[in-house]
Amino acid sequence: MGIDHRKINRLLQKLRSHPYCVYAIETPHTGYLRSFRVKEGSEVQPGEILFLLERERNLKPVKSRVSGRVQRLRQDLLDRFVEAGEPILEIWHPLSQEEVISEILQEALQVLRAPETARYLPSPEIEARLRKDGPGKALVHPGEDLLIMTFMKRETPIRHEGPPAVIYRVFFDPQEVVPAGNPLLGLCSPEEVPYIDRVLARIREEWPEQ
Amino acid sequence: MKERLLIANRGEIALRIMEACEELGLDYVVVYTRADEESLHVRRARRKFRIADYRDPNEILAVADEAGCTAVHPGYGFLAEDFRFARRVVKRSRPLIFVGPRWEVIRDLGSKLNVKRLAREMGIPVIPGTIEPLYNEIEAEAKAEELFQWLVENGEPEPRLLIKASAGGGGMGIEEVRELDEVRPIFRRVRAYAKRLFGDEGVVIEAKLSCFQHLEVQILGNQHGELVHFGTRNCTIQSPGRQKRVELAPGFDPAYLTYGFSPEKVLEEIINHSLKMAEAVGYDSVGTWEWLVTPEGRAYLMEVNTRIQVENEISARISRIRRRPVNLIREQIRMALGEKLGYTQRDITFQGTAIELRLVAEDTRRNFRPLSGTITRFQYPRYPWLTVRTHVPEDRPYTIPTEYDPNLALLIVWGEDTPRALERAHRALEEMILEGHTSGGGPLHSNVPYLREKLKEVYRFPV
Repeated sequence: MGIDHRKINRLLQKLRSHPYCVYAIETPHTGYLRSFRVKEGSEVQPGEILFLLERERNLKPVKSRVSGRVQRLRQDLLDRFVEAGEPILEIWHPLSQEEVISEILQEALQVLRAPETARYLPSPEIEARLRKDGPGKALVHPGEDLLIMTFMKRETPIRHEGPPAVIYRVFFDPQEVVPAGNPLLGLCSPEEVPYIDRVLARIREEWPEQ
Repeated sequence: MKERLLIANRGEIALRIMEACEELGLDYVVVYTRADEESLHVRRARRKFRIADYRDPNEILAVADEAGCTAVHPGYGFLAEDFRFARRVVKRSRPLIFVGPRWEVIRDLGSKLNVKRLAREMGIPVIPGTIEPLYNEIEAEAKAEELFQWLVENGEPEPRLLIKASAGGGGMGIEEVRELDEVRPIFRRVRAYAKRLFGDEGVVIEAKLSCFQHLEVQILGNQHGELVHFGTRNCTIQSPGRQKRVELAPGFDPAYLTYGFSPEKVLEEIINHSLKMAEAVGYDSVGTWEWLVTPEGRAYLMEVNTRIQVENEISARISRIRRRPVNLIREQIRMALGEKLGYTQRDITFQGTAIELRLVAEDTRRNFRPLSGTITRFQYPRYPWLTVRTHVPEDRPYTIPTEYDPNLALLIVWGEDTPRALERAHRALEEMILEGHTSGGGPLHSNVPYLREKLKEVYRFPV
């Protein structure tokens, strides 16, 4: 069994000392920053409007995708034309149990990382299997197409090389570009599944859902 | 008021448009995405705005207004042939000049079926096939039988047809048919694909030519009804994905090769047909008429590109207007701003052969797989006969963005004749230095060996 409990303990310790994830909220496109709907220090929930951006006479509400506290709000940009990708504020998001599990799984599982900054989607067979069996049960065989990488306008299959494995976790969103090196899938052998389940049970106990 | 152009594109074409603006004394503004921050088009521009996407008209127009631009140059790709964008640019509450043809012309010549229909009406030869989308498989089979017959009569040893989604493009939704029995199942498959992908189940069928050369005619027109051509190009050497890799101007060279037909006559024919159609539609910008020519010298109009192209510069390189060099982007901008040509066809002369080599980060041995990574050393020689168009810096490492085509540079070589141009092309490739590593850590390959190999095939019909 390849799970390194000491490594997991170290990671848990690190997460406890800084139990936040800082999300930098940037403008999704150009436009005039018309108004803020939050203040410095406000607590926000997912779906809450953060600010309004006007472009070509259309007002776009930019919403929060996570919960947390608003910090570093750029009041100086109000009513100014801003470029795409301009940092507007930060949300200090307290890590949930599920997010801690995701971090731990990246240590505990054999992680398939993005070879390129690209869009990825599961191959049709894997997608069907994940839909039918769910993560933690979907098995992948040697030589099977795991994912399809859409890269520089071309599609390239990514094959599973190695012994049969269980797809325990899907780390990416097919709608978004995944930077090179980011985790895509977490795999383990079928025999390892009960051990991983036990590690997760331990985290659920030690990091209760808020 | 001094005109100010918004350059709605990236990389080498953005740099060429910048250069043309500087020659004309015009202001310009550049847009870029985060992935392109290290591109030379961004580093060299004084005024620039970061946008989310080059394909988003709202981004382009918002920046144009903010920067006080009076015109938009779309370059090639992205929004260049989107007639809705061109229409919006000129019809909005704060109208701008669109550097390209009128939107109606883009709309009418952007449809391959429409071009075919128009060509037939004008007696211009097109590849035999349907000119209206087909929806019925019985009709499709009857048409296929007729086309197979035509191919046999024209001496095709292995007759093939292509069944395509009429709303498709870029090689998507195209299947090959070898026998009449295959028509119905393939027609059904393409029709379902077309419906799924393009929301329109219309399908077209055309004869597939097994051996041909791909020629282009460079046209320039304006709103005053003036029309000239800048000769022809040969773009036959393409990757398996139909991406051009080596282009030459002029289209044929009878001094270099013996043809089984009169190349002068064919060139004259395709130029005249292209000019005739351009005149009929009131073509008012730079544009390219694309032709397929068989080894017997039969020419068929394939499509019209209503924009500046990657390979325009080889036409400019062999052309002179009253002995002065030509810049087709400068001419395109001048025409968009309402100027007159100031010259006629008689003032345009041609000299020598120009070759364009497209340097691409791709693994040609593995099905032309595009490569990403970092270029750590990039240097190219300087000669009066060589122009290098690139957005890749020579003075610092450059990471190839993965969002776009992995094109790195265009090498444009001129020679007094084809052998001299070929010799110089080899020399330019030999002396160029490109080093780097892929994102996986391996050495970064480019298509230089492939280009070198392909120089042996210039002007020849593919075997």
